[in-house]
Amino acid sequence: MNGLTGEVIAVHPFFSGLRLKHLRILAECAKKATFGPEETLFREGEPANQFYLIQKGRLVLTAGEPAQSWKIIDTLGPGDVMGWSWMFPPFRWHFTARTVEPVVAIELNAGHLLEAAETDHDFGYELMKRVAQLVIHRLQAARKQFLGKECAPHDAPGLLPGNLA
Amino acid sequence: MQTIDSLEGVIETHPFLFGLDPKYYHFLRGCATMRRFAAQEQIFQEGEPADSFYVILSGDVALETVVPTAGTATIQTIGSGQALGWSWLFPPYQWHFTARAIEPTEVVAFEAAALRDKAEEDRDFRNEILTRVSKVLVNRLEHAKRQLIDSIA
Repeated sequence: MNGLTGEVIAVHPFFSGLRLKHLRILAECAKKATFGPEETLFREGEPANQFYLIQKGRLVLTAGEPAQSWKIIDTLGPGDVMGWSWMFPPFRWHFTARTVEPVVAIELNAGHLLEAAETDHDFGYELMKRVAQLVIHRLQAARKQFLGKECAPHDAPGLLPGNLA
Repeated sequence: MQTIDSLEGVIETHPFLFGLDPKYYHFLRGCATMRRFAAQEQIFQEGEPADSFYVILSGDVALETVVPTAGTATIQTIGSGQALGWSWLFPPYQWHFTARAIEPTEVVAFEAAALRDKAEEDRDFRNEILTRVSKVLVNRLEHAKRQLIDSIA
C-alpha cells in the first residue's frame, strides 16, 4: 500500500466523510497510473474495471463512433474523479476517455472495490452514494450539451454536489 | 374474510419495485397514494422541492426543461413500468426537471420524506433503494448520451 496514494485519497473531497477503515480499503485498491498525450484510457463498450482520481493533466470523455462524430461530453482535470460504469450493469464503459495532455492519476481497481462492498455493506453504500452523484453530474452535463445551454462542465476541481448548484 | 389491498398488490408487481424484501411492501403501501393526471397536466416542476417519488402505471410522461430563448424542451419520455424522479433521494432534494403527463396517466406516488426516513433507519432498505434509483439515473444518462450523439447528424 502506497502511503502517498493513501494520503491523496484521504484528503480528496470525493471521499470526504468516509471512515478510516473505508479509506484504507480504497488505498489498498489503488495505484498510480500515467498516460501520454492523446492516449485512450478506455473505449465506450469495453469492460469497465477502474475508477480514477485525476491528479495532473487533462482528458475528455466522448461518445459516438466513428471518430469523426465524437461528441465531447465532459472535460476533466486535476481534482476530478472519473468512472462509474464499473458499478452498474452492464459494467461496460459508456464513454471513451482520451487524454488531451499527459495525465497522472490514481487508479482504483473496481473489482476489488466491489468485493469489499459485498463484505462491508456500509462501504458499498458510501461508494454507491458518491458514484451516483458522479452519474448525476454527467447526466446534467450531457443534457446541457444537448439543449445547447451555455455550459462549463468543468468549472472547478472536484465533483461535489455543491459545485453543481 | 381478508380484503386484498389492491394498492399493495399494484406496488408489489410494479417492475421498479418488484423483488423487494416482502416486509417492505406494507411500509410502502403506508406512504403511497394512487394519482391520476390528465393529458398535459404537470406532475411536478423544475426547482420545486422533490417531495414525492412516482412509479408509472399507465400513460406517458415527458421530462422537460426550459431553455432560454427557445422555450420548453423535452429531455425524455417515460411510461408504464418505469420510475419517475430521482432528485428526491439526493440533496438538495429539488427537481432538476419538470414532469408533465402527455396523455392521461396513472401513477403511484410515495412520500419522499417517509422513504428517506426509512432509509435512515433501515440500511438494507437504504441500499436497495439507492441501487434501484441509481439504475434509473444510468438509464437517464444513457438516453441523454444517445440523444446528444443523434443530434450531431
